[in-house]
Amino acid sequence: MSPLIAVERLSKWYGSRLAVDRVSLEVERGEVMGLLGPNGSGKTTILRILTGYLRPSEGTVRVADLDVVTRSREARARVGYVPEDVPLYEWMRVSEFLPFMARLRGLRGPAVGRAVEAAVERLALGGVRDLLIAKLSRGYRQRVAIAQALLGDPAVLVLDEPTNGLDPRQIIEMRGHIRGLAGAHTVLVTSHILGEIERVADRAAVLLAGRLLGVHRVRPDGRDVRLRVRVRGPLEVVRARLQAIPDVRAVTVESEPTPDVGTYLVESRTRPIADRVAAAVVGAGLGLLEMSAAPLDLEALFLELTGRAAGAGR
Amino acid sequence: MSHLGPLLLKEERAVFSSPIACATVAVYLLLMGYTFTAVLFLNRTGDLVRVFFQAAVLFLLIVPVVTMRLFAEERRAGTLELLLTAPVREMDIVLAKFLAGLTLPTVMLALTASYAVVLGIYGDPDWGPIYSGFLGLFLLAAGLTAIGLLASSLAPNQIVAAVAAMGLGILLWMIDTLGYLLPDPFDRIVSHASLVAHFTPFATGAMFLSDVGFFLTLVLTGLFLSSRALARR
Repeated sequence: MSPLIAVERLSKWYGSRLAVDRVSLEVERGEVMGLLGPNGSGKTTILRILTGYLRPSEGTVRVADLDVVTRSREARARVGYVPEDVPLYEWMRVSEFLPFMARLRGLRGPAVGRAVEAAVERLALGGVRDLLIAKLSRGYRQRVAIAQALLGDPAVLVLDEPTNGLDPRQIIEMRGHIRGLAGAHTVLVTSHILGEIERVADRAAVLLAGRLLGVHRVRPDGRDVRLRVRVRGPLEVVRARLQAIPDVRAVTVESEPTPDVGTYLVESRTRPIADRVAAAVVGAGLGLLEMSAAPLDLEALFLELTGRAAGAGR
Repeated sequence: MSHLGPLLLKEERAVFSSPIACATVAVYLLLMGYTFTAVLFLNRTGDLVRVFFQAAVLFLLIVPVVTMRLFAEERRAGTLELLLTAPVREMDIVLAKFLAGLTLPTVMLALTASYAVVLGIYGDPDWGPIYSGFLGLFLLAAGLTAIGLLASSLAPNQIVAAVAAMGLGILLWMIDTLGYLLPDPFDRIVSHASLVAHFTPFATGAMFLSDVGFFLTLVLTGLFLSSRALARR
């Protein structure tokens, strides 16, 4: 099955400034993809191209196999979007704004009421339904914005910095809402805060100065691509046996044998390796004491990738 | 599926919930009431020619104030991003904003019709020039609304949009005087672009299809360019 979102060699120039530089990215159905990067790294520009607000300078973006330029309206109908500063019509009541947005999304007649009711219930907006949007707190505004994005049940939800400006309690609620959307929707969420992406995303795409540095899995999905193993045996022998396993990319010694039990981090390129790691250790007559999945430390990865990019730039 | 209905409803609410609507209608009625009374008592004639010219000049100043917020305000508030990322045609957005922008001048014209009623009750006016005058004012308002919409779609903020639209409207109003300084055929080209040259026949009771065509061309050009300005992003 083709990915729901396919970005291919996407570039965007603002005059002479290159904001996005040949970014390629795929997002599968039902997953939460985080775009992580400092301010000005091109996250919002990518989202704006995906949602049809901006035109790409080069490259293509497809949503559900629809090109966002040549079949823009059809593609836009499949995307719900919450822009960064949560722009809403302040002079409207929530009960006016949501039906208006539902009609823009092509709903008519009783379908408008049904979609609005479902969104109000899901985001717990019943208590503020009759209030002017100008009177709402930042947290409620954010919820109203997500509610409008859900109208018409789009396959893709795009949230630009959804926790910006929220207090700690609202941030926790917002994380819950985002995780609750996963599965039924494909969610693309940006943040410049590493911890936010770590908490809500399945995968994280790290961006710096418009370039995609890498895409990494944040949540384990059963594919044991990073394993932490405790093995009894001499360091050099254990390391040599682990490195000899096909598909193993790197073996890091986390703690040296004291006296003869060491902890090693084994990273595969893509494929599951748990069974082969176990077979290699046991087959060599070494003692396999413990083996567990080692989720990615996004902070370390971010520093490594951005540091590497900075080094390459010098 | 057309989204013109919901968009138009929203735009009309935005126009009429703004204090600008009340202020502009009030100022217009005050100045027009003064003009009508003064002209009636001084001239003692049963026509509205001077009233129409006064209304036209007020439209040159008032319509840009009404249209300045149409796109510039949405751009400032960021809501333009919501509209343009919804599955809506750009032309529907432009058309809804144009029609909503034209509503207020139309309401003003409808209220101005009371002067014609007064003339009808107390005198025996020639109704032909009155009908054509109102049609001319409506077409002029439509042309100015299209200019204002274009300025609002291009300008970085509302004030710039209003000043630009006002400047362009006034320039087009009086550009025919430039024609006297230019050689043939430029003098004719400039005269053909003049708002006052095309409005005067309506106000004096002479209707020409070419004048109607001029204002319709102005409206269509404004709408087309606004739509292109919106697409350029």
